[in-house]
Amino acid sequence: MGQEGAQKRGSSTLPTTTTAGGHRTGRSIRGGSRQIHKTLNNIKITILCGLVTILVLRGTIGFGSLSSDNDQENQAIIEETNRILEEIRSDKDPDDPEDNQNQPTINLNDTYSLGPKILNWDEERRLWLNQNQDFPNIVNGKARILLVTGSPPNPCDNAIGDHYLLKSIKNKIDYCRIHGIEIVYNMAHLDKELSGYWAKLPLIRRLMLSHPEVEWIWWMDSDALFTDMVFELPLDKYKDHNLVIHGYQDLLFNQKSWIALNTGSFLFRNCQWSLDLLDDWAPMGPKGPVREEAGKILTANLKGRPAFEADDQSALIYLLITKTEWMKKVFIENSFFLHGYWAGLVDRYEEMMEKYHPGLGDERWPFVTHFVGCKPCGSYGDYPVQRCLSSMERAFNFADNQVLKLYGFRHRGLLSPKIKRIRNETVNPLQYVDQFDIRHSGQGTSN
Amino acid sequence: MLDRIIGPRRTRQLNRLLHKGKVTILCLVLTIVVLRGNLGAGKFGTPEQDFKEIRETFYQYRSRRAEPRRVLEELQTTTEQTTSSVTTNSYAEFDINKLFVDEEDDVKKNVNEPYSIGPKISDWDEQRGNWLKQNPNFPNFVNGNKPRVLLVTGSSPKPCENPVGDHYLLKSIKNKIDYCRIHGIEIFYNMALLDAEMAGFWAKLPLIRKLLLSHPEVEFLWWMDSDAMFTDMAFEIPWERYKDRNLVMHGWNEMVYDEKNWIGLNTGSFLLRNCQWSLDLIDVWAPMGPKGKIRDEAGKLLTRELKDRPVFEADDQSAMVWILASQKDRWANKVYLENHYYLHGYWGILVDRYEEMIASYHPGFGDHRWPLVTHFVGCKPCGKFGDYPVERCLKQMDRAFNFGDNQILQMYGFTHKSLASRRVKQTRNDSSNPLEVKDELGLLHPAYKVVKVSSS
Repeated sequence: MGQEGAQKRGSSTLPTTTTAGGHRTGRSIRGGSRQIHKTLNNIKITILCGLVTILVLRGTIGFGSLSSDNDQENQAIIEETNRILEEIRSDKDPDDPEDNQNQPTINLNDTYSLGPKILNWDEERRLWLNQNQDFPNIVNGKARILLVTGSPPNPCDNAIGDHYLLKSIKNKIDYCRIHGIEIVYNMAHLDKELSGYWAKLPLIRRLMLSHPEVEWIWWMDSDALFTDMVFELPLDKYKDHNLVIHGYQDLLFNQKSWIALNTGSFLFRNCQWSLDLLDDWAPMGPKGPVREEAGKILTANLKGRPAFEADDQSALIYLLITKTEWMKKVFIENSFFLHGYWAGLVDRYEEMMEKYHPGLGDERWPFVTHFVGCKPCGSYGDYPVQRCLSSMERAFNFADNQVLKLYGFRHRGLLSPKIKRIRNETVNPLQYVDQFDIRHSGQGTSN
Repeated sequence: MLDRIIGPRRTRQLNRLLHKGKVTILCLVLTIVVLRGNLGAGKFGTPEQDFKEIRETFYQYRSRRAEPRRVLEELQTTTEQTTSSVTTNSYAEFDINKLFVDEEDDVKKNVNEPYSIGPKISDWDEQRGNWLKQNPNFPNFVNGNKPRVLLVTGSSPKPCENPVGDHYLLKSIKNKIDYCRIHGIEIFYNMALLDAEMAGFWAKLPLIRKLLLSHPEVEFLWWMDSDAMFTDMAFEIPWERYKDRNLVMHGWNEMVYDEKNWIGLNTGSFLLRNCQWSLDLIDVWAPMGPKGKIRDEAGKLLTRELKDRPVFEADDQSAMVWILASQKDRWANKVYLENHYYLHGYWGILVDRYEEMIASYHPGFGDHRWPLVTHFVGCKPCGKFGDYPVERCLKQMDRAFNFGDNQILQMYGFTHKSLASRRVKQTRNDSSNPLEVKDELGLLHPAYKVVKVSSS
């Protein structure tokens, strides 16, 4: 087009050049119209180029306000997601029109019962075991144990809680795989009345009655971690007892302390005696006025107990103090940490790794580290979060190192999720299996 | 004006030149812009990226956060965290990622070394056979012809990015614990990354190899993804069917060998026998895994060779399809592509039919009537972005969990109030003769749990 313009300009002075439709009007008009044409052409070019540029840019970058629809879209998605998460976290049941809040609670005069009274469980169980030889209660010389643990069915108040529940169950899976113990992970509230820490009672009873082949039911809290993967329970010690629980005789009978025993990790034999004890234990549990009143009694009678509703641990202590005939079959274990209070243990892990070895189960290498009071599933614990979580992470990794040893790895520090090799790969891996697999090597068994 | 200096003709030439120049430059600019827009310009990127950069710097000056907002982010205000973070008792304010401390650095890998998943073992069958003879207490077959199985699954050692992701991982492992307890299967839950190069979906390979070699008593290793759930608690794998096979996956022969379809099989749930053949297969499978250039290049190859595969880095599933299709003679006779029951069941076609299944069928089928496994492919509950809407994924995972859990609870006389509800209700009254009550599905004392009483 520029060339056309040049030609046209040319035609005004060189009569020999041909023009494409040149105007032969007067010079001034010719000149003027040429100017106009030039301008028009320029404008055409400019507009055309501008259009093309815009199209291209639009195609690649996109156009629209700087604040962009993207953000608004994101905002909508975030709000929607928050709503979903809120719904999931809440305890509301979409299909339950009468939400529990309005249910009448048991009042003080009603008697609560865990279930119909069973009187001859030992006999029935023995008969059943006779008829079902395929489900013996002793396997490979060891009594059958069922480890029971659990957590609420809804997500924790914060994500960290669920993460530590996950790590905790992995830890239990590892120990139980090594020692041939089965696990039941409960996430259902079997009994509306016995909620919270009391929920273990109906659960234990239910499992005992449904699994006569199980000899011992081992309840373990979700905030307790195994830290000695080699140690095995010395069940022979308990052949004349039906309840094995960690605690101290002195604290129990002399001081009547509310932390004399710990119900975060204990064993119940599957027998009539246990059913009877559970029946005697349960009455302080039903939520509402019963539990409140019971709480007051317990606070009045147990040393150091703060004022709050009745909990299963205080209730058991009170029961054993007041009805001492139960004590005949109760074994108070403190020669190893069937329950190990975390605060005194977690800082010493490095020292333990240096001086001792797994299999001891006691203060040299604790069997169980129990994070009482940390409550990672809730919003607030009794201790600073940083301390609790770093301690739980350390305990988890301390135990995990013992599992990973077979595979030739360990954590890069007790606070590290990453692992490093401690043994090179080999074409003869079975030599290490014999040496390091806890099940085969029998290193450091409890006796 | 120029006329007077250089003469009219020259002026005209100059003008012409100028015009041509203008046009040329204009066209050049347009070409560059278009090319940049489509192909990019190396490290300078495309105009789109330019625009984003400009926008970000612009925003930075307005003191807004430079990184893009993420969708499933915990929207807690993070103000004034520094003073109280050490002593706070509140879990909401704590940033878990500050907790982790790696006491050693990553091992620097020699870039020139080709990747190897481990030293080549050629006599594993023999080694293992000898070991089993020397250790009669750890037989690889329990109760006669049932093989000893180890179910392997896992997740990241760090908390999920999604605030409810860990909760669903917890439910998923509970679901697996229940199935495995009933069927006498052991579980290994992995939370360790054994090989930094084989990260992501490839992490299972070094883990599987390590477990096969460390547990010679295990006959079959069952890998199962963390987003797969058991929905038929009564179904027992037909082990007899696989007595001459070493690898069992859900899939279709035509789709793998003929069509080379990338979803012709699924590596989210499969059985692998502990033998030399499996070690050889892993050795052939692993080379596409090392992250970085190798994985990207392998991804391109797989997209080219396999039907319908989108463009992304190599994944273990596509690699398996390709290996089986291209090396059929070597592997196919020991691979069983099972489709008579849902060893892996794609959730999209199953979850809406649960009520219909409850009405018409009963547990034990394992197939479309009552799927063994419902696998939530694409949901990625642990990450921030999945391929499906969040609400659908999470709600359906709840339903699948409850569907499976009902079969466990019925052993004890309970059931969920509905498939969407966490609450349970009793289905039968407590009896004073609990041993006479039989659970409908016979899961309390099933035939495959019997212990052959030895003479000890």
